[in-house]
Amino acid sequence: MSTATSTAPLGAEKADENRSLIGLRRPDHTTGLADWLTTVDHKKIAIMYAIFSLAFLVIGGIEALIIRAQLAVAENQLITAEVYNQLFTMHGTTMVFLAVMPLSAAFFNYLVPLQIGARDVAFPRLNSFSLWTFVAGAIILNISWLFQAANLLGWFNPIDGRSDIVPAVGWFGYAPYTDTAYSGIGTDFWILGLQVLGIGSLAAAFNFIVTIFNMRAPGMLMMRLPVFTWMTLITSFLIIFAFPPLTVALGELMFDRYFGTSFFRVEGGGQPILWQHLFWIFGHPEVYILILPAMGIISEILPVFSRKPLFGYSLIIFSGAVIGFLGFAVWSHHMFTTGLGTVGTAAFSLLTMAIAVPTGVKIFNWIGTLWGGKIRFDVPMIYGLGFIWMFMMGGFSGIMHSSAPADSQQHDTYFVVAHFHYVLIGGSILALLAGLYFWFPKVTGRMWQGKLGHWSAIVIVIGLNWTFFPMHYLGMAGMPRRTHTYLEGTGWQALNFAVTIGAFILAVGILMFLIDMLRTYRKGVPAGNDPWNARTLEWSIPSPPPVHNFDRTPVVKARDAFWLHKFGTVDQKIGSVDPGAHGVHMPSKSWMPLLTSSGFLVFGIAMAMKSAGVPLMGYLAITGLSITLIGIYLWALEGPGGYHLHPEGEHRPH
Amino acid sequence: MSAATEVTESQEHVPTGMHPKKLMMWLFLASDCMFFGTLISTHLIYRKIYPDVGPDPRSIFDIELTTGSSFILLMSSLFMALAVSAIHKGELKSFRRNTVLVMIFGLLFLSGQVYEFYDFAVNKDFKLTTGTFGSSFYLMTGTHGVHVALGILWLGSLFAYSYTKHFKAETHAMDVEVAGLYWHFVDIVWIVIFTAVYLLEYVSF
Amino acid sequence: MSAIASADPAAQETFLREERKRYFTFMNLAFLMTALTGIELVLIYLPFPSQTIIYFTLIFLSLIKFVGVIFWFMHLLWDKAFLTIVFLFGMVIASGTIAALLLLFSEGYVDPAMGIYEAD
Repeated sequence: MSTATSTAPLGAEKADENRSLIGLRRPDHTTGLADWLTTVDHKKIAIMYAIFSLAFLVIGGIEALIIRAQLAVAENQLITAEVYNQLFTMHGTTMVFLAVMPLSAAFFNYLVPLQIGARDVAFPRLNSFSLWTFVAGAIILNISWLFQAANLLGWFNPIDGRSDIVPAVGWFGYAPYTDTAYSGIGTDFWILGLQVLGIGSLAAAFNFIVTIFNMRAPGMLMMRLPVFTWMTLITSFLIIFAFPPLTVALGELMFDRYFGTSFFRVEGGGQPILWQHLFWIFGHPEVYILILPAMGIISEILPVFSRKPLFGYSLIIFSGAVIGFLGFAVWSHHMFTTGLGTVGTAAFSLLTMAIAVPTGVKIFNWIGTLWGGKIRFDVPMIYGLGFIWMFMMGGFSGIMHSSAPADSQQHDTYFVVAHFHYVLIGGSILALLAGLYFWFPKVTGRMWQGKLGHWSAIVIVIGLNWTFFPMHYLGMAGMPRRTHTYLEGTGWQALNFAVTIGAFILAVGILMFLIDMLRTYRKGVPAGNDPWNARTLEWSIPSPPPVHNFDRTPVVKARDAFWLHKFGTVDQKIGSVDPGAHGVHMPSKSWMPLLTSSGFLVFGIAMAMKSAGVPLMGYLAITGLSITLIGIYLWALEGPGGYHLHPEGEHRPH
Repeated sequence: MSAATEVTESQEHVPTGMHPKKLMMWLFLASDCMFFGTLISTHLIYRKIYPDVGPDPRSIFDIELTTGSSFILLMSSLFMALAVSAIHKGELKSFRRNTVLVMIFGLLFLSGQVYEFYDFAVNKDFKLTTGTFGSSFYLMTGTHGVHVALGILWLGSLFAYSYTKHFKAETHAMDVEVAGLYWHFVDIVWIVIFTAVYLLEYVSF
Repeated sequence: MSAIASADPAAQETFLREERKRYFTFMNLAFLMTALTGIELVLIYLPFPSQTIIYFTLIFLSLIKFVGVIFWFMHLLWDKAFLTIVFLFGMVIASGTIAALLLLFSEGYVDPAMGIYEAD
C-alpha cells in the first residue's frame, strides 16, 4: 500500500489522538479480526457483505437441492412435509434477504464511493452498523436450525404447540398460518429476523442516498453519474419507502402473537387479507430492489465490452425511475385471485402491463448498445448477455401474469415459480455474477486464467433453463406450488425428474464459479488498474484501491469520465483537487456499530425464546434493547474522530 | 439516530449545499410517512369495514382532553422552533430554556396519553385486546407515544450534553435542528391522527 | 446554516435579523393553529345540517396545520427545495397507498350473517 499514516492529531487540545471523547482507545491501528469487526472502510464492508451473501447463496442453494431431491419422483418420502415447509420458507427468505439483497449491497458499498470520486460514504460508522445489523438478522433467522437440532437431541423443548422451530410459513408469511394456533416459534424467528434485517437495509439506504447526493466529486453532475450509481439511488429510495410497511405489518403480527391483539386473527375480526396487502405493498417494490441493481451492473458491463457508450443513457435512468415509482402502484397483482373487485383488478392489471414499457425500453437500449459495437466475449460479457436473454424470458411470463384472467389460471402453480426464478436467477443472480467477474480484478488486483469462468457461465445458463423451463409446463398442467409431494398418474413425474437434474446442473455451475473465484484469488495474475479498458472512475486508481481511494479528489468533466480521460480531448481529462498540507481525512474505526447491532441479536433470539416459554427471556429481550441504547449513546459520545493520511507517490504534497 | 452519526468530509465540495444530517433526517421523515401511513390505514380500514362492531368511539373518547393534548403538542412545537432559532443565534441560555419547555410539554402530552389509556382500559373496558378497534387504536397511538418519548430522551440528551465542554453552539446547531425536525414530525403525525382518528368519528352522514 | 452565516459578519447580521423576524412568525403561527384546533372542537358539536361540509372542513383545517408546521416550523420554506420534494414524495406515496387501501376494502367484505364478529 502506497500510503503512510500521519501522526498529527486532529484536535490540537487532545493529548492522545488515539482516544475518543469518552476516553476509550480508538481501534484505528488494530489488525486481523479486530480490524474487520471495527472497520468503517466501505471496501472492507463490501467484501464482508459479499462473503456473507455468497455463503447464504450456497445455504439457500442446498435447501433448494433438498427440495428438488424430494420432488424428483412421485410420492417420495425423503423428508417430512414439515421439513419441506421449513425448507421452501428458508430457501425463499434466505435467497431474497440474505443472498441477493446483501450481494447488491456489496456492490453499492464497493462501487458507489469509487464511481462518484468520494473518499467513503457519508456516514461510515452507520455503514458498519448496517452490515452488522444484517448479520444479526441473518443469524436470528438461521439459528432456528440449531434450535431444531437441539430439540431433536432433546436439549430444548418449546411449550405445547410451538414446536415448529424453523420458519415454515412461506417467505411471505401469509396470515393466518402465522397465528400462534398454526405455527410455532419458527414464525417468531422469522418476524424478528426480518424486522432486524429491515433496520439494516433502511440505515444503508439513507446512507447511500445522502452519499450519492452529497459526496460527488466536483463536476460529477447527476446526469454524469454512472448508471450503476443511479440504480443504487433509485433502489435506495425504493427501500426507504417499501420497508416501513413491512416493519408495521411485522409489528402488528408480533402484537398478535405476543399480546393477543386481533390484526390478522379471524377470531377477533382480523382480516388475513390485510396482511397480504401490507406484505405486497412492501413485496412488490422489493422485487425491483432485487432487479434494479442488476440492471445497473449490466448497464456498466455492456458498454465496456462493446467499446461503445451506453445507448440512451438518460432514457435508461428515466425508465429505472419509472419502474421504481410504478412499483408502488401494482402490489395487488399478487392477489388477483383474492377478489379485489372489478375496478381494483382492472386498475392493477393495467398498471402492471404499464411496467413492461420502461422495462422494454431498457432491453432495447441494451441491444442498441451492442448494435455495431466491437464485442469482446469475456466472462462478464457472457454472463451479461445471458442476463438479457434470460431476463426477457422471465419478463415475457411476467406480462402473461399481468392479465388477471390468465393469472387466475397460473396463480400458485409452478408457472409462477418458473417466472420468478427466471427473473431472479436469470436476472439478478446472472447480473450479480457478471458484476463479480467484472470487478473482481479491481477488488483483489488479480485476473483469472483459463476458461473455467466461461464454462461456469454456460453451465449456469444451461442449468437454469433445464430447471425452470419445464416448470412452465408443470404449472400449466396444474402442479401447485409448495406441495410436499404429488401422486403417481398426475403426468408430472417425467418433467419433475428433469427439473431435479437441471437443479443439480445449476448447482455444478455455481460450484464452478466459486472454485474459479477462489482459484483466481489465490493464483490469479496481476490485473493492473484497468484490465477492461473501462469507462468509469473506479478504473483510474490502483487495484486493489488504496484505503483512501483517490490520492487527489478527481474533477470530472464529462460522462464516462475515465474513457474520455484516455481517449478524449485535452479539456476532457480528469482534473484533481490538491488535498493541501493536511492530507486526506480518514474516519476512525469504531466498536460501537458492532455493539449497537449485537443488541438486536440478543433481542431477537430472546423474543423467540420467550415465545417458546423459556423463563426470564422477557428480561433478556429488554437487556438486548438496552445494549443497543447504550451502543447508540457511546457512539454519539465518542465523537467521529479521524486522522490524516498523506498519500505517497507522484501526487504527494511537499 | 442522526445525532450518533458523523460527517467525515469537509463541507467544501457538497454539491447540493444540504447538510448531510439534515438530508438524512428528511429522508427518514419521508420514510416515516409510510410507517405511520400504514398504521393509520390499518386503523381506518377496520373502522371502515366494522363501523358498528365494538364500543362506540363517541362513548369512550374524551374529545376535550384530546383537544387539550393536541394544543400541548402544538405549543411544544413552537418552543422547539424557538430552541432551534436560539441555538443558531448562539444563545445557549435561551436554547436550554426552550428545550426544557419542549420536554415539559412533551411529558404533559405523554401523561395525557397515559391517563387516556388508563381511563379507556379500566373505566370503559376498552383494551388492546378489544377486537380490531382496540388493536389498531392502541398500536397506532402507542407507537406515536413511543416516538414522543424517544424525542424527549433525545432532547434531554442534547440538553445534558450542552453542559459538557464538548458542546459548542456553532458545531451542534445542526444536531439540534435535526432533533427539532423529528419533534415537529411527531407533531404533524398527531395533527393527522387527531383529525382522522378522533374528530371524524364525530361526523355522522 | 449558522456555520455558513458565521463565516461573514455581514451575513451573520442578516441572518440574525431574519431569525428575529421569524420569532414573530412562529408566535403568530402557533396562535393561528391553537385557534384552528379550537374551531375543530366546536365544529363537531355544531348541529350543522350538512355533515359533509363539516367532514371536509375538518380535513381542510388539519391540512392547514400540517402545512404550517412543515413549511414554517420545519423551515422548508427557507430551505433547499429538494428537501420539500423528498418529503412530499414520501407523502404522495403514503397518501396514495392509504387511499388505494381504503378503496380496496369495503364493508361488503364482512358477511353480517356470519355472526363471528359479534363476540365484542
